[in-house]
Amino acid sequence: MSLVVIMVGLPLPIVNVIASAIFYFANKKSARFVRWHCTQTLLAQGFTLPVNAAGLYWTLGIIFDRTTVSNNYIAYILTIVLFNLVEFIATIYAAIQTRKGKHVVWWFFGPLTETLVKA
Amino acid sequence: MAKIVVHFIVLVVLFFGTWFLLGNVDYLKHFRVEELTKETEHNLGELILDELQKGGNELASDTVYSFVNGIKKRLCTSNGINDSSITLHILVRDEVNAIALPDRHLVVYTGMIRYCKSPEELSGVLAHEIGHIEHGHIMKKLRKEVGLSMLSALAGSEANGEIARETARLLSSTAFDRQLESEADASAVHMMARADIDPEAFADVIFRLSQEKNDIPKRFEWISTHPNSQDRCAVILRLRKQETCSSKPIADSSAWAKYEKIVRRVSVSLK
Repeated sequence: MSLVVIMVGLPLPIVNVIASAIFYFANKKSARFVRWHCTQTLLAQGFTLPVNAAGLYWTLGIIFDRTTVSNNYIAYILTIVLFNLVEFIATIYAAIQTRKGKHVVWWFFGPLTETLVKA
Repeated sequence: MAKIVVHFIVLVVLFFGTWFLLGNVDYLKHFRVEELTKETEHNLGELILDELQKGGNELASDTVYSFVNGIKKRLCTSNGINDSSITLHILVRDEVNAIALPDRHLVVYTGMIRYCKSPEELSGVLAHEIGHIEHGHIMKKLRKEVGLSMLSALAGSEANGEIARETARLLSSTAFDRQLESEADASAVHMMARADIDPEAFADVIFRLSQEKNDIPKRFEWISTHPNSQDRCAVILRLRKQETCSSKPIADSSAWAKYEKIVRRVSVSLK
């Protein structure tokens, strides 16, 4: 049953992606600092979206009996829960820090954002 | 740019590494998933069988039972299936029906035995039901139509007899979906061919049943729950062409007549 609860929670990151995209487009003409962090968040969401979508597709396959629950499936769900949790905590932390005007650079997404956001 | 690529590779390795490490834990064993599933299936099988037995006693004739069980054994052993893992039940009921139940119970009504014109035809019906058992169709269907929570309640004896009756009715008088039926048909053809029984007999019984439109669904439950019978015959005959089999008779016609007579006598005496 707990797996079903996780499954229900999986589509939620799409809300985060949409929210990040709205923020990104709304702040296209803002200061570089704001644009930079909007881009970083959007990129991070873009990474978790396909990972979560795969988990959702797998779960639906189990619900509609195309496949069965396996150790691999449970491990995948645990992995994406872990990654989503890390991403969630990082987002909250970054939000608090950027409100204070502090620059938070994430692993991979920070350098990638640097190449994408012009001065 | 090189830094980004390195970071990306590390991130991907971290993701798949975590998945791989977590995948080494046997969650199914730890949470007793398989054990509980088997237990649920076992209890459900007993419960539904009890319900069906209320509508008709088990056939008392050892002669007929041994004969039908012999057909089942021939089909199983030729196809690498553990014969003793499937329990055969012959119930004295007029309906032309055969049902696969959870926990590998195979129920055949005497009405079906009487309807079949040869042991080969009966073997086709048995092979089809064994196909459902081997593909795990029964629990699949129950999970889909009854739901997991209801099944667990049933298996844990938390539900009343009405739900058990409904579940038994669901298995005995409603169809599997088209894909599952086709899978069971294909298995039946393959199993019969490997057991040196001509699959044409299976097509014959389905074709004859499909002609019995007047009595559907009152008596010919087995065919009323298996739609598009004429299409199925065509597919069975096409599949038969792909198999190579040497047809060895199960029993001669006089022996079959003897078994049929016993079944008829038992059925009449119970009326």
